[in-house]
Amino acid sequence: MSHLLDPKAGATYLLMGNEAIVRGALEAGVNVASGYPGTPSSEIIENLSRIAKERNIYVEWSVNEKVALEVAAAASFAGLRSLCAMKQNGVNVASDFLLHLVYSGTRGGIVLVSCDDPGALSSVNEGESRYFARQLEMPLLEPGNFQEAKDMTKWAFELSEQLKQIVMLRSVTRMSHASGNVSYGALPETKRKAEFKFKGFILDPEEGIITSAPVEWRHKEQQDKIRKAKEIFEESPFNTYEGPDKPELLIITSSACYLYSKEAVEVLNVQDRVGILKLGTTWPLPPKLVTHYLARTEQVMIVEEVIPFMEENVKVLAAEKAGEIGAKKFFGKNEGVLPSVGEMNPDFVISAISSILGIDYSPVSKEYDQSAKLSAFVHAPARDQVFCPGCPHRASFFAIRRAIELDGRNGFVCGDIGCYTMAVRPTGFETLKTVHSMGSGMGLASGFGKLGLFGMDQPTFAVCGDSTFYHAVIPALINAVHNKSNVTLVILDNGGTAMTGFQPHPGQDFNVMGESMPAIDMARICEAIGARVEKRNPLDLEDTLHTLLEMMEDKNGVKVLILSQYCALSPQRRGKKDYELSVDETVCLGEECGCGRFCTRIFRCPGLVWNKEKAKAEIDQVICVGCGVCADICPRGAIKRKEVA
Amino acid sequence: MTTSKLPKDPYSIVITGVGGQGNVMASRVLANMLVKKGYYVTIGETFGASQRGGSVMSHIRVSNLSAWSPQIPAGKAHLVVALEPIEAIRVLARYGNPDIKVLSNLRPIYPAGVIAGEASYPNEQEIRTILEKHTSKYWLIKATEEAVKLGNPILANVMMVGATCAIGDLPFDRNDFIDAMSQVLSGDKMETNIKAFELGFSLLMK
Amino acid sequence: MEEKKLTRGQQEVREKVISLGLCTGCGACINLCPYFRSHRGKTSILFPCTVENGRCFAFCPKIEVDLDNLSLSIFDQPYDGNALGRYRSIFTAKAGEKIKSFEAQAGGTVSSLVYYALTKGYISGAVLTDRRGLEPIPRYVTNAEDVFSCSQSKYTAAPTLAVVNEVVEKGEVNIGVVGTPCQILALAQMKTREKPYPISLSIGLFCTWAIDFRLFEPFISRWIQASHIRKVDIPPPPAEILQIFTSQGEKIEIPLSEIRPLVPKGCAYCMDMTSEFSDISVGVLEGRPDMNTLIVRTERGQKLVDEAIKEGYLIVSDMPKENLEHLLWAAGNKKQRALKRASDENLINCESLSYLRLKGELLNQLTQ
Repeated sequence: MSHLLDPKAGATYLLMGNEAIVRGALEAGVNVASGYPGTPSSEIIENLSRIAKERNIYVEWSVNEKVALEVAAAASFAGLRSLCAMKQNGVNVASDFLLHLVYSGTRGGIVLVSCDDPGALSSVNEGESRYFARQLEMPLLEPGNFQEAKDMTKWAFELSEQLKQIVMLRSVTRMSHASGNVSYGALPETKRKAEFKFKGFILDPEEGIITSAPVEWRHKEQQDKIRKAKEIFEESPFNTYEGPDKPELLIITSSACYLYSKEAVEVLNVQDRVGILKLGTTWPLPPKLVTHYLARTEQVMIVEEVIPFMEENVKVLAAEKAGEIGAKKFFGKNEGVLPSVGEMNPDFVISAISSILGIDYSPVSKEYDQSAKLSAFVHAPARDQVFCPGCPHRASFFAIRRAIELDGRNGFVCGDIGCYTMAVRPTGFETLKTVHSMGSGMGLASGFGKLGLFGMDQPTFAVCGDSTFYHAVIPALINAVHNKSNVTLVILDNGGTAMTGFQPHPGQDFNVMGESMPAIDMARICEAIGARVEKRNPLDLEDTLHTLLEMMEDKNGVKVLILSQYCALSPQRRGKKDYELSVDETVCLGEECGCGRFCTRIFRCPGLVWNKEKAKAEIDQVICVGCGVCADICPRGAIKRKEVA
Repeated sequence: MTTSKLPKDPYSIVITGVGGQGNVMASRVLANMLVKKGYYVTIGETFGASQRGGSVMSHIRVSNLSAWSPQIPAGKAHLVVALEPIEAIRVLARYGNPDIKVLSNLRPIYPAGVIAGEASYPNEQEIRTILEKHTSKYWLIKATEEAVKLGNPILANVMMVGATCAIGDLPFDRNDFIDAMSQVLSGDKMETNIKAFELGFSLLMK
Repeated sequence: MEEKKLTRGQQEVREKVISLGLCTGCGACINLCPYFRSHRGKTSILFPCTVENGRCFAFCPKIEVDLDNLSLSIFDQPYDGNALGRYRSIFTAKAGEKIKSFEAQAGGTVSSLVYYALTKGYISGAVLTDRRGLEPIPRYVTNAEDVFSCSQSKYTAAPTLAVVNEVVEKGEVNIGVVGTPCQILALAQMKTREKPYPISLSIGLFCTWAIDFRLFEPFISRWIQASHIRKVDIPPPPAEILQIFTSQGEKIEIPLSEIRPLVPKGCAYCMDMTSEFSDISVGVLEGRPDMNTLIVRTERGQKLVDEAIKEGYLIVSDMPKENLEHLLWAAGNKKQRALKRASDENLINCESLSYLRLKGELLNQLTQ
């Protein structure tokens, strides 16, 4: 049995933040869960899927975040409790539906879990999802530790049903992927039956139709819900204060920043000078509670990550109440004591408090600090992220990069988000020249492909992953074909959503619960749209190269090349060597003219090692996965490939 | 549940290594043992680089009082457990202090830049000199070599947990390890892991 | 201060040849390593290479060409600036009666000589240039009968030497090569740098310029599909036209003034019209579309020509004086123009890397 299903109330486990959210949802009796994979959110749906059958929950990886939210909303409309999980940029994808959903309101409890990634530890943006709560006028909750992640998730369902409104629970990487003690509550017996009622009075929230119109009437209802949320939040146990009655400095904070603030106060030993107001209900702010603490101090610092969202909200409140509580001095991002980019950490907070209170703090002597940093600078060279040994993307980009150089017209590739994003780096031969949102490589290519009118003759490629293809590439491909844009799309099909852990996608014949499902054939989709489609194995370098070159010469609209090969870490390939590789030292040219360490310097598979003493290449047998591609790139044929029986 | 006093509260450990070395597993095992003993444990991790040759780091905070920040403040780590030697050096630059202890595996994993000839990697003597200068105590062990003898290089991570036990700062022993592992492993796998733990322990006792 | 290390490798070829537009795509740097490749007539660098003393640099006919050095290596005599280069004898020529009739350019002299050399085992294979549509495709021919399918002039710049490098790498010996002046110059540099080099015979073609295939193909498509082209010809002066013969029997004539914009920039810096570092050079004969001009430069070349004549594979006669004078004038003109241009652009005898090196006084004399 999964530790997440331990029925014993009071049992304590070490849970990852995302697991705590799952336990909270289980304790709330969640019926339906949907999402689209994205770090740091993926473990929520993953963990739910593993226990779905035992708890009679329907769990799916949806094609994209917007559809995921629609699937979750359907459950709510039918009176069930549902959860929808995604990373920060997913909320943007879902936001069109969300805009309408907050007008129409919901029925069964529905929680949108957004896992933001301040500092972009596993993202190509550090987007803010909190602003959606204010912009779309829906309640926002942010857990400040692991226990709260569990408790607050459970409460979010109750709140949603109380307000008849979707509730957003926002986590961050350092909460979702951090772990801590969580004490369990009881698991309920759920017996909800799904039924969509629509025959009642048209405006009846329980039995009428569910629409965003009449807009003004619905909008007013929505704002009434926000007013009600404020009242509820005034009493919420998730808003806590610790510190002196009249602090010299009041820190207002939330989420992981609460832990950083607490740490900073402890390190500086200023518990009797600094108070911490930790808010769990961060939109709408509970005005009485916040005013109460603002009134007891002259100096306020807001500690939060990235954009000063809470800072703005607190300042508006403080301005409204200035007559009552007087003007305050504010510290934070606008004033500059804290950064508004990158993730927060205890050290930023320590330095901010030190500067405000005039404390001279350094954790170690200057000599130690400088010496340790110098040692690391000199002796610990950075580890650039690389494609794994045997990764099919390395082979694919090797072919694409060579095709572009051979063509010689300064061609380029528009990419998007996936492991293949790393192809902006040397590991992918610096092939990608644009990286934006899911599917945007194809959209950009579609646009570039029309610029011939203005003299542009650079061949344009787009690349996308297989999961991304279904998520957001199809409309852009339709656009390119319909508008006769002369571009080539390369689909890097590695048999799953590899970057986030092999979640299945609609191209596969099974779902997250391991059930058999109809696979949607991407080649047939592309053909039906009207593109010319070819399929190749990227590990066959020359075949792939020639196909690409030929496609670049084909000026008749959109070409699609599907490069299919399982990810080297996939269950299909992991631990299975197709070939034993070895280097014939007598043939290896090493640094000489004719090679110039081509395999270790350019191809850079981690399974290849440069032996400085011998001045020859070697295979690291522990790391090599036996794909055999390097045997084809060695200019002398010194890398020998023997089939593994 | 009563817990014994820690040398420092919170006691802060950095477990570091390279993606794919089993860093996360080592920190989980360690943390699970301590949670079972009644401590508050907070782990902070970065997952993004976990399979892609990047540096990976887990911060573990152990306390009798509460959860702490999943990021250790600069200069405030008490123990570094490194599955790869230059990762220990990297950690010292930010979290090191003269009182820190470092336990490191000796087997290098070369960064792509080193393989490509764009950067150089320190030799064992250089590593020792740096650790000597920036720690109160350090241990370098050949965990990967011993793990290969046991049949799988990945067992180096369990060996490092065994060696951490031998340092004695943290209140857990072989039985706690068996207790924690038996929930996730069974049969001969369990046996090999216990062997790795004991071997790691004994490497430090030498 | 540390002196900057002078490297002679890919980076220099990229900066001083390819980026400056001097590359004619001769193929000398292709197939030596994984870095240089030719595609559709164009030389590309796929990845950066850091080898400091590379064959790409040594072989390239557009960087650090030391004419004295080369001349000494091939002819044991310094470079003297003669408009036709060093030679032993000059004739008019055409295929002999032993050669069956085939569609060749002018007198068929080149094909006859290669056919003869292959048949008699003088060489064991020849690197020639075939054609697919308009795209020149270099080939290694070991069967004498295959020579004739490569017989026509291509006029498009071809990476012929890529195949030389390929067969040398494979260990072939006694190789014959037919090439343009830039290719023959590169070949001479190969022979100079790496001795012994398995090239036994180099037949040079006359060339005033070549056409960039990548520009030629879309240009020609205004008149005809490339696959319908049977033969391309530029008849000897004063015609000033390019003729295209189609497989349907039509003939299309295009004024050369329209073709000249399609010539690679690098050809404008070429001071060699007659392949001065070959064993034998062959070209058109003014006013005689059925004959060739034949220049014999080396002892080895002389031997082959003598035997071919003796056995009836080649017919030669004396070069008429006015033809020789005109050839000297045309070749001298090309040399002077190219040297002047290169000199004006500071590409000759520079302190840093140069395109050409030759004696200063000779340069002055030739550019006056």
